[in-house]
Amino acid sequence: MAEKILKKDDIGRLYSELEKEYKFYAPTKVKGNIAFKKISNAEEIELEYLNSKVPPKDVLFPQKETIFEYRYEGKDVIIEERKDLEDKLLIFGVRLCDAYSFKLLEDFFASGDFQDDIFLKKRENATIIGIGCNSPRQSCFCTSVGGHPFQKESTDVFLSDLGDTYLVEAISEKGESLLKKLSWLTDAKKADLTKSKELAKQAEEALTTKFDFDLVTKVLDENFEHPVWQEISESCIGCSSCTFLCPTCTCFDVIDENDEYNNRGRRIRIWDTCQSCLYTLETSGHNPRPAKIQRCRNRIMHKFSYYPSNYDCLGCVGCGRCITACPVNNELRLIIDKILEIEEKSGEKVSA
Amino acid sequence: MPNPYIPMLTRVKSIISENEVRDIKTIELEFQKEEKYKAFDYIPGQFAEISIIGKGECPIGIASSPTEEGTIKFTIKKMGTVTSAFHNRDIGDTIGVRGPLGNGWPMEELKEKNIVVIGGGFAFSTLRSLILYVLDDKHRKDYGKITVIYGNRDSGEVLYRDVLEEWEKRDDIEVVLTIDREEEGWTRKVGFVAAIVKEVAPSPDNAVAIICGPPIMIRTTVDELVKIGWKDEQILNSLEMRMKCGIGKCGRCNIGSNFVCIDGPVFSLAELKKMPNEY
Repeated sequence: MAEKILKKDDIGRLYSELEKEYKFYAPTKVKGNIAFKKISNAEEIELEYLNSKVPPKDVLFPQKETIFEYRYEGKDVIIEERKDLEDKLLIFGVRLCDAYSFKLLEDFFASGDFQDDIFLKKRENATIIGIGCNSPRQSCFCTSVGGHPFQKESTDVFLSDLGDTYLVEAISEKGESLLKKLSWLTDAKKADLTKSKELAKQAEEALTTKFDFDLVTKVLDENFEHPVWQEISESCIGCSSCTFLCPTCTCFDVIDENDEYNNRGRRIRIWDTCQSCLYTLETSGHNPRPAKIQRCRNRIMHKFSYYPSNYDCLGCVGCGRCITACPVNNELRLIIDKILEIEEKSGEKVSA
Repeated sequence: MPNPYIPMLTRVKSIISENEVRDIKTIELEFQKEEKYKAFDYIPGQFAEISIIGKGECPIGIASSPTEEGTIKFTIKKMGTVTSAFHNRDIGDTIGVRGPLGNGWPMEELKEKNIVVIGGGFAFSTLRSLILYVLDDKHRKDYGKITVIYGNRDSGEVLYRDVLEEWEKRDDIEVVLTIDREEEGWTRKVGFVAAIVKEVAPSPDNAVAIICGPPIMIRTTVDELVKIGWKDEQILNSLEMRMKCGIGKCGRCNIGSNFVCIDGPVFSLAELKKMPNEY
């Protein structure tokens, strides 16, 4: 399908035509931060933003969600499964790092003998409208983890911000059928395509943080017991911002919320974090990762060593949220530098 | 594929208090739907996520053997919220079950081999399952000599007395029971499991050792086995870790890149030596 043009003034029209069919999620301002929320009015859509504080992951994998509801009738239990998993979702304005995270999440939840039905059904029913990043942040490093500020592949519809208009491209079949509903979009001109390409190039050049993650993985695999982990974990206060704001973190806890007076309740899952000592604490009192050093190491190893070994890709999309969120500046770029220093130092020894 | 987080519903058929201090019970469960039981196709060493809906869920090794048809059993020590709630159940109460989960003991690879089963304390549950399985008429010919070394703190802690008596009557299984300290009236061995393993000195020839127990028992026992010529590949352990989902999604039971729930809980000592010491 040929590229189209969407005027920014027509976002309201796009919203009103699609909101009947889809639950429409878009970036909006919540308490001074950008968040992806289900909106009820096109005015709520915020178009000028770098990225959301909490990744749009929470549309498909919310901080807290019901697994099932139940009620007791005497000694019998009646389980009610969720009925909202078939709802059609539209997530508008997703940055490309986050769009790529949906692919990682989908691959993870579908891996192995057991499929996470709750996530996968929502993912299947979700259409992603991504937007290229004209101006990546200082903390962004998507190109080091196989991404790009204009990487279209993980979206269904891709938008490039050309100023007053968006260049609109259908990427997947889902995206094509969505654009067919917007027959009033005008055709793009050659100049629009050229401009989009220029913006992509400029954005790529603006990314200054670059890492060789193949090397990082190799060094990590060889240095599990290295003293650098003591140094890396020293300043960590275990606040878990890095994991709670990570678009690829998937760990969760399961809890029964019981309404004893009405003999009913629900089993829910809520985000959990490997940075908490309670995460692995067993009822006996034994804890396999009782110290900060082990927990800090687990996060880094999971993203850059365990993920590659289990799923053949990095568990990071380079969004930089863990970098900007860390309250003690124990941020990923510094951690990666320290890890790579191990290799540099061992190289020096060999050449000396 | 059905939603793997939805438990199958069972009912408590029987409850047996297993030990003197009454903090270990074996609960027998009957599936509410016959087809769910038929689909619950398990081998010894696997576990299930069992729940009291409204209280919570926890991973417990399956104590019954697939050869004990009709029901499944779990032996549960009263420890936290959920396990305490299990101890307050009555006959007929509804229990949720998700499973079978995990890899289990490698019953196919164990064929034609001599099996040395070493257990300590209430970790004996999946060993009960294994022994009943290999002693069953359908399977006995597939396996070699069977030696069981089972240790407890005191005589009041010895589980599964009914099946132990049955085993002791047979001549195709050697059962060695031990307790930590001397006790009046105790006629079996006295001493820690590792010391008894040294005394019994099971031969490593064409054999596999299956060990379940507290970490200190595992370590000392493995040391003794290695001294008498056992190789890491011949020694199997079943691990426990905190779990929520049991299906490799909730994250917390990882040891390095392995998940205890889907890659284990059974690992050989050779495999464990390649993994970080975070279990």
